[in-house]
Amino acid sequence: MQIQSMFFKQRATEKLGDALLQGNMKKAKGKFVDGRARAVAEFGVWEELRTHAAMIRDRALANLDAYLVEFERNATRRGAVVHWAESAEDACRIIVDIATRNGVKKVAKSKSMVSEEVNLNERLEEAGIQVVETDLGEYILQLAKEPPSHIVAPAVHKSKEQVAELFVQAHGKPRLTEIPAMTREAREALRDHFLTADMGISGSNFVIAETGTTLTVTNEGNADMVTTLPRIHCVITGIEKVIGTFEDFASLIRLLPRSAIGQTITNYLTLTTGLKMPGDADGPEQMHIVLVDAGRTKLVGSDLQEMLRCIRCGACMNHCPVYQNVGGHAYGWVYPGPMGSILTPVYVGLENAGDLPNAATFCGECAVACPVKIPLPDLMRKLREQQFDRKLRPWAERMAIAGWSFMATRPALYALFAKVGARVGSWLGGREGLIHSLPGIDGWTKGRDMPAPQGRTFRELYKQKSREHG
Amino acid sequence: MGARENILARIRKAQGRSGSEPTEAEMAMVREAIARHEVGPQPPFAHAPDRLAQFRKECERLGTTHATLASEGDIPAEVARYLAAGRLAPALAGWSEFAGLDWAGAGIEFRNRPANADDATGLTGSFCAIAETGTVLLLSSPAAPKVTALLPETHVCVVRASRLLDTMEDSFALLRTEVGEPPRAVFFVSGPSRTADIEQTIVIGAHGPYRVHIVIVA
Amino acid sequence: MKVGLFVTCLVDLSRPGIGFAALKLLEGAGCEVVVPGSQTCCGQPGYNSGGREVAKALARKVLAEFRDCDYVVAPSGSCSGQMKVATVHDLFKGEPDLPEFEKLAAKWHELSQFLVDVLKVDKVPGRFDGTVTYHDSCSGLRELGVKMQPRYLLQMAGAKVAEMDGAERCCGFGGTFSIKLGDISTRMCENKCESIRATGAGAIVGGDLGCLLNIEGRLRRTGDRETKVLHFAQVIAGEG
Repeated sequence: MQIQSMFFKQRATEKLGDALLQGNMKKAKGKFVDGRARAVAEFGVWEELRTHAAMIRDRALANLDAYLVEFERNATRRGAVVHWAESAEDACRIIVDIATRNGVKKVAKSKSMVSEEVNLNERLEEAGIQVVETDLGEYILQLAKEPPSHIVAPAVHKSKEQVAELFVQAHGKPRLTEIPAMTREAREALRDHFLTADMGISGSNFVIAETGTTLTVTNEGNADMVTTLPRIHCVITGIEKVIGTFEDFASLIRLLPRSAIGQTITNYLTLTTGLKMPGDADGPEQMHIVLVDAGRTKLVGSDLQEMLRCIRCGACMNHCPVYQNVGGHAYGWVYPGPMGSILTPVYVGLENAGDLPNAATFCGECAVACPVKIPLPDLMRKLREQQFDRKLRPWAERMAIAGWSFMATRPALYALFAKVGARVGSWLGGREGLIHSLPGIDGWTKGRDMPAPQGRTFRELYKQKSREHG
Repeated sequence: MGARENILARIRKAQGRSGSEPTEAEMAMVREAIARHEVGPQPPFAHAPDRLAQFRKECERLGTTHATLASEGDIPAEVARYLAAGRLAPALAGWSEFAGLDWAGAGIEFRNRPANADDATGLTGSFCAIAETGTVLLLSSPAAPKVTALLPETHVCVVRASRLLDTMEDSFALLRTEVGEPPRAVFFVSGPSRTADIEQTIVIGAHGPYRVHIVIVA
Repeated sequence: MKVGLFVTCLVDLSRPGIGFAALKLLEGAGCEVVVPGSQTCCGQPGYNSGGREVAKALARKVLAEFRDCDYVVAPSGSCSGQMKVATVHDLFKGEPDLPEFEKLAAKWHELSQFLVDVLKVDKVPGRFDGTVTYHDSCSGLRELGVKMQPRYLLQMAGAKVAEMDGAERCCGFGGTFSIKLGDISTRMCENKCESIRATGAGAIVGGDLGCLLNIEGRLRRTGDRETKVLHFAQVIAGEG
């Protein structure tokens, strides 16, 4: 999708003023956070499992090349064709080629964030191929012609009334008011597509090296239709998703749905290996697996490598007070919230990511919630360091930091400025002791008063007191 | 194969290694780590003293109904009872392993073929079941079409009590001993399909079945 | 027992009373307190703005200033987090001065943790009759585990603590974030103020001046002149 991340600040302000969105976000917030808290509390060995999961991911990432080669060997042995895509464009070209070569007219898709990242739907449509998103949330957004605003609950920003309106336009049936009825109408509309699609495209939450297996994790069952019914199954996934064994998967899947929405397990987990076997009633005749780099190798071996552990649960955004207030679209690219504030700058360039690394108070809730222990605030800080070193922040901000550090390392000068500052601030605050507006900190004073200093610094007063007491 | 080499070379360079292909020694190390099949921490309730009770508890949490039978011969009567109670049509598409049961005697039309979109009920067996999460595991094979568990609005699944295991890891161990390599689909089903994509409100019956009924045969 | 008081730059500039309250509490508990006159800032604003070298220079300065103390105490979870966690786990990791910073981290304490966990005080000089609500500042809570200590001390002073909804939720301060992304920061602060108002408490109490200035600024802007905004040190020292 088109990158809008450089406009984060403006977009965030717009979203803060969008009463409908604010209402929709408020409804969702408690469900994610409380659900996860309950699931974690009853689990018993949550911290031990987080540590183990981080190890599983690190172990594969430390030998990423060998794990990928092992995966490729086993997937190929089972009849899948493994493709490697260096860039977003390459990934799309490979998949469009597969589709056109096989005379594909319709693609049924289950949710894949990588496909959003590389703009796959647009490329397929340009090639004259119909694409149908089948995850209910993604389907709603396809009708609305909007990108997802959350990686697990893509339509979290929409109310049921907004969905009802979209369905009236798309299905030409009477307006519905109840969510179960809307869900049934979508089910019926999509059933036909599953049965008539020539190709199914899915993501893969992990790929398993030992067996050459890809997999899907869903509640709806749409991924199972997509990977079972059409004659061609195409998987698009990132190269960082590789893990060693089914046992590794068992550990990670205990974390994923609990972290995402507080569910112990999703309704469907499907490990998919190779083609339909001789005599099988269902399953595809061709399987293609597209392993996408598109910036991931930039993270390997870097001081941001821990980000590659990410299992895309969305807990970091669910727990982020910034995300909760501005929603996913403010972030301006595919991945919102804390994980997006790290991935976006790396994948699309720090210079295009504007304020994203700064879109956090470092409150630390994301790091506590992350099931694979990614130190998200620390990684955002490292990006801030890169911004600082590359002089990507505004001039005034850089000058302020330079001025402050010049003084803070010179105690006498600092004391003098503090003394003057305390007096000027006190004078500005007047009788109330409140500064209502001040150039340079208008970001603060637009919505808040600045409680003023009280005239003298602690150290002045302390010195005076010490003198008095001899 | 330019892209493959470039990606692997970039990874290797970033990790301080040369070339664009892992060495035999590196591959051997990775295979060795894989072959250990290391099991991670499991929650205490995964090893419940009463495995069947744990399984039922999780089923109920997922909205899966269940019944326990003394023998396989009782399956048609139980299915008939279940369908009648839910006012569902007395017909189903089922896996061939159940074709020999007395369906006519129970008043049920048994279609010995994979289910299609018009079948209201599908009857499947299972490879095993998992108590930790109230899950059944289906392995695809010519005799075990996955669509039968997926397309109908009602899925009835038969589980042998002796095949009830504690954890997913246990099911993988069993898969290795009894089957060897995984088939095309290793399919874990935990309750009826659902979605919460509209206002995070849980609705049962998204694309898959609205109802899952597990019949445990002693 | 020689205790160095790290006043913090915000207290020094803006609310000296908090520094004196801390001093009173420490001296009252029998500590010999020293206040190095050359102290300025822990370096966190630079650190979080990407100025790593500045942060390191300031950390070294703090280290030198408090080298002779048996303990160092600061009335802030945020500055304490910088000196106890950031230095050891990030800034000086793998560097020759790491052992020095590990020593400093070990003897550095946030004020409420020092009073409760180290000094094990069982009485405080202040009395507060009324209900307060406590805001858990992020660094103190999540980096250092400050949670029950300030509440325990407040109750010791006679205050009733009414828990607000989302006490552990960030108030939106975040240092320079409060200025750089002021609109989001203000909204987060407004959410916090709503929770505070819902408790009906007469005072909102916290352990970090940055959060307190943020909360006070929003309360006053929205017309609340009544609710007191206090550092716990002021309450328990009887200077609120």
